[in-house]
Amino acid sequence: MAKKIAVDPITRIEGHLRIEAQIEGGKIQNAWSSSTAFRGIETILKGRDPRDAHHFTQRFCGVCTTVHSMASIRAVEDALKIRIPDNARLIRNIIMGIQNVQDHLIHFYHLHALDWVDIVSALSADPKKTAALAQSVSNWPLSSTTYFKGIQDRVKAFVGTGRLGPFANAYWGHSAYKLPAEANLMAVAHYLEALEWQKDIIKIHAILGSKNPHPQTFLVGGMAIPVDPNSQNAINADKIALIGKLLKKARTFVEQVYIPDLLAVASFYKDWAAIGEGVGNYLCYGDFHMDNSGGIDNLYFPRGIIMGKDLANVMALDESRITEEVTHSWYEYSSGGDAGRHPYEGETNPKYTGPQPPYEFLDTDGKYSWVKSPRYNGEPMEVGPLARVLVAYASGNADAKGAVDFVLKTLGVGPAALFSTLGRTAARGIDCLMLAQKTEFWLQQLTDNMGRGILEVHNSEKWEPSTWPKEAQGFGYHEAPRGALGHWIRIENGAIKNYQAVVPSTWNAGPRDAAGKLGPYESALIGTPVADDQQPLEILRTIHSFDPCLACAVH
Amino acid sequence: MHDPEFNVEEGQIPEEILQKWEARGVSRRDFLKFCSVMTASLALPSTFMGKIAEAMEADNRPSVIWVEFQGCTGDTEAFLRSNQPTAAEIILDYLSIDYHETLMAAAGHQAEAAKQASMEKYKGKYIAIVEGSIPMAENGIYCTIAGDSALNIARKVCGNAAATIAVGTCSSYGGLPAADPNPTGAVSVSEAVPGVAVMNMPGCPLNTENLTAAIVHFLTFGRLPATDNFGRPKFAYGKRIHDNCERRSHFDAGQYAEKFGGAGHRQGWCLYKLGCKGPETYHNCPTVRYNESLSWPVQAGHGCIGCSEPQFWDSMTPFYKRLPQVPGFGVEATVDKVGLGLAAATAVAFGAHGIASALRKGDDDSKGKKED
Amino acid sequence: MSTLELRYVWEWPVRLTHWINVISIVVLAVTGFYIGNPFVAVPDVNAYVMGWMRFLHFIFGYLFAISVVVRIIWMIFGNKYARFKAFAPWASVEGWKNMLGTFGYYTFVKRKPPFCVGHNALAVVAYSGIFVLFIIQILSGFALYGQFAPGSFWDNTLGSLLVVFGSQGLRLTHHLIMWLLIAFAIQHIYSGWMMAIKEKNGTMGSIFSGYKFIDTEDES
Ligand code: HEM
Ligand code: HEM
Ligand code: NFV
Ligand code: SF4
Ligand code: SF4
Ligand code: F3S
Ligand SMILES: [Mg+2]
Repeated sequence: MAKKIAVDPITRIEGHLRIEAQIEGGKIQNAWSSSTAFRGIETILKGRDPRDAHHFTQRFCGVCTTVHSMASIRAVEDALKIRIPDNARLIRNIIMGIQNVQDHLIHFYHLHALDWVDIVSALSADPKKTAALAQSVSNWPLSSTTYFKGIQDRVKAFVGTGRLGPFANAYWGHSAYKLPAEANLMAVAHYLEALEWQKDIIKIHAILGSKNPHPQTFLVGGMAIPVDPNSQNAINADKIALIGKLLKKARTFVEQVYIPDLLAVASFYKDWAAIGEGVGNYLCYGDFHMDNSGGIDNLYFPRGIIMGKDLANVMALDESRITEEVTHSWYEYSSGGDAGRHPYEGETNPKYTGPQPPYEFLDTDGKYSWVKSPRYNGEPMEVGPLARVLVAYASGNADAKGAVDFVLKTLGVGPAALFSTLGRTAARGIDCLMLAQKTEFWLQQLTDNMGRGILEVHNSEKWEPSTWPKEAQGFGYHEAPRGALGHWIRIENGAIKNYQAVVPSTWNAGPRDAAGKLGPYESALIGTPVADDQQPLEILRTIHSFDPCLACAVH
Repeated sequence: MHDPEFNVEEGQIPEEILQKWEARGVSRRDFLKFCSVMTASLALPSTFMGKIAEAMEADNRPSVIWVEFQGCTGDTEAFLRSNQPTAAEIILDYLSIDYHETLMAAAGHQAEAAKQASMEKYKGKYIAIVEGSIPMAENGIYCTIAGDSALNIARKVCGNAAATIAVGTCSSYGGLPAADPNPTGAVSVSEAVPGVAVMNMPGCPLNTENLTAAIVHFLTFGRLPATDNFGRPKFAYGKRIHDNCERRSHFDAGQYAEKFGGAGHRQGWCLYKLGCKGPETYHNCPTVRYNESLSWPVQAGHGCIGCSEPQFWDSMTPFYKRLPQVPGFGVEATVDKVGLGLAAATAVAFGAHGIASALRKGDDDSKGKKED
Repeated sequence: MSTLELRYVWEWPVRLTHWINVISIVVLAVTGFYIGNPFVAVPDVNAYVMGWMRFLHFIFGYLFAISVVVRIIWMIFGNKYARFKAFAPWASVEGWKNMLGTFGYYTFVKRKPPFCVGHNALAVVAYSGIFVLFIIQILSGFALYGQFAPGSFWDNTLGSLLVVFGSQGLRLTHHLIMWLLIAFAIQHIYSGWMMAIKEKNGTMGSIFSGYKFIDTEDES
């Protein structure tokens, strides 16, 4: 007999996500993804100064904290045809690069790992064997027996207080946990190390943008952080050196801890390479400009789409084919009906039709989520590191090819394994590695510019609204940690006329569309095994593999 | 190594406390340093070190229930950047964070059960931390968790807490969701749950150093620190940015960056003319700074946007202009344009009047009888 | 027969406060405008231009505030032209007649302004408005002034204004009122000048000397 369950809150994500699933014969047979919180920021933006918008949109999310500033500013720059100085391009690349790197690391260790790692089992590990395991997978210096013994003692003392805090009441001992005790202990040690590491490397945002989360440094037309080797109030040699040091620290940890851990853990969960495939269509806007032309021909991660898992055929992306539907979302369009709308014509008119709280289940036949359903050519698309890496890989990007082939070879699986829960998690690691390695290059270019006396960070030609056309519209894109992010703005008389964002997690977490096509989360859950419907650990695995961010998705 | 902040005699803290912490993997030095930084943050005399140390005793770990409503998780992320102590230390050694959706291992009904258990066991004793605003419109349907509304959850969680701390401007004052036209009827915790003791720690996001200091204050004295007119602790929000700003001498001199990336901007001149809201914002950003005291907005060349002030999304915008718009005039009309227009219109009107009355007939019979 | 009589209308406190106000307002508007929009480029780090502007603004702010308070107190003790009642023409039938009459004169409906010794009735309405603006300007000014020292006298007394109107709201109001005062001054000087010419009663001179010429026939 089919049984419907609701997992709410889905924890270890950003925001408010609820999954309802129908389980039959130990497998998910149908699933519904819902976000249960709405703020209405697109509405709040109307009528405001377009130059202010990025401060508002940045607060879509405090996790991927820079990305909506980036997309917003690019939308305004696109509308007003503003070219940014080269230094601004490079500073943006560094900020975005390190954002992706840090965000991925936190996701892997602090949000996703506990789906695979059983902390309680770490207590029974042999520190000596743990050290041997750690040394066999990496050169990372923190790998002695004493070190792991220390970690284990600390965890034991903690567990000994009888108060497990955030680790209480979880699925410890669940039959789906497969790691040996030693691997669990190693992962726990790295959980703690990564917690330290993330706060250190993100200081790059503080240097370039005053603070993190929510750096305050982006501007329409460039950046607010000045560059001047002869000033102590600007990016100077001292700060370049500090950023360089932090970037190196970032890269080393990714190379020596994250990637080895990822591979070590993955090797015990290869069955997950056949679970959680999803819609099989991938969309990537591409990002990280390699030159200052402003064009999209020279992006480190190229733009493109892949339909039906066909890696042989990366197609060009046409932004105008994007629509959002609200058939199953708590909104209504002024035109009525089910037709999707392109974001320039987009509307955010809330219309709640769900049950009144407190409730048990949503009405999943009707509207059931605050997330809209974005479609490309009417098709649901998955976005994210997997899409990014697949498009780069299939387009022949050498770095992507090298990294992907290495991972596949180490795990002894073929490219088809990428279309899965495990593939998504692996692709995030590859994405992270590529950016951790590339960011130092942009810092070098910035240094070179400074050496040549190029100090410009902001193009203020069109700063004043009096220089703007009466009407303008623009599209701003960005490859955020969770994937393809688009902001669309319409400006009229110097003020925002309409503002719409279609966010990575909107693409992935969105509900069914008018045609009944499932969103990527929903579709990836179909077929996922669930050993114990009271402890749906497997749902968390597949959902977490997307790295959900619901504040982003709904905004 | 010489460390200026660290000038503590070990004798100030009882030996057995130090030993207990050592047993739990926190070195003597780290613990002493922690106590000394805390005493300094809270502006307490160093004689309070011992008291702080006692308050931090292992089994005293207070239970914390951290709920997020209409937020962006920025305040959680800020918390994860804590340094003195680090987030790992806080989670393992200082607090018992029994519910926090972003961090906790349990999910779904097991997560809710953990919250319930902690609320019952530590009723009246735990600290509630709230991130994000609470939507009041339409029976709270704009934010539900585990099927219940944020409002109901806030009532339960804050109503049974020893104290509630609102982290970030959203939970303190409504913040971004409450910005005009406030589509969801979002309000602050103190508006949503009147009658409970709430301390506001605004900032978008809040500065985690202030949060740790406030919690330590609570542990040490059993109550939250003194607050100002807006419910913010004075130790962190007692002074304007402008009065502690490192660029203040440029302000007084009259040296203002006129343009981003321009010479004055590169030389660290005052950002007043680029819209800095430091003169109307109370926060300790210039002294405490962010990410281990590395920087803060003005230091990095962007004006303060007033992110710790109530309704700053409406009152401090446009962010790149000093003053808000004059209500009822277009987006490009500054107060000076409107004012100048008014003065000019007056001058024109009376000028015209002057000409007209000079031409007026009959005025000359100055010995005027009353007309009628 | 009408006779011209020289009458003492404006007692010295009225004149003194008037001129202190005029001087302060000029200084406050100039320094205030600079505070709001520092238009002078200052290359020298050791300069203290904004510092002095603010210092002057606060000194004259105090002077102005004291002067306005003295004038308001004088509304109790002063002669009939200076009292509260003189500022409230709407409280009497006579007052209404005067207001309408003056209005008619200004709008060219009537050829002659109604007779009055003190302020003309319409001016008085403007003056009461101006006094309200003065008070708002002083309250908002001192509330903003209190911001730099939480817990100080001004913060304790006027801090609640910051809670109710917000500091940006107060600043905007303070700034806007400057312009309203400038507009008033234009109108006021013009009207004074016109009255002096048309009524030939020494209105302009009176604010210096205190005396006006009164046509006794008109008064009857
Ligand atoms: C007719 C009288 C006055 C005029 C025309 C005037 C005008 C102004 C103007 C235009 C500003 C700039 C506002 C802005 O753009 O932010 C200002 C600021 C200020 N005014 Fe006045 N003001 C007057 C009276 C006063 C008084 C009585 C005080 C009381 C002390 C005062 C205290 C202040 C303060 C504290 C500031 C803010 C200064 C700063 O932020 O550095 N003002 N004034
Ligand atoms: C050249 C400059 C000025 C001259 C010659 C002047 C002249 C006068 C005269 C003649 C009166 C008495 C008017 C009447 O009989 O109705 C008066 C009253 C008044 N003036 Fe002015 N004025 C000057 C500037 C100003 C300015 C700049 C302000 C303020 C913005 C101002 C505010 C007032 C007020 C409030 C009164 C009513 C006085 C009271 O009853 O205390 N004056 N002025
Ligand atoms: N989805 C999403 Fe974000 C990201 N990455 C943004 O665009 O997480 Ni908060
Ligand atoms: S206060 Fe700012 S950082 Fe905190 S939840 Fe609200 S928007 Fe996010
Ligand atoms: S930069 Fe801002 S806070 Fe600093 S002195 Fe200038 S106006 Fe004040
Ligand atoms: S914007 Fe916020 S972080 Fe501080 S400097 Fe201003 S209060
Ligand atoms: Mg949207």
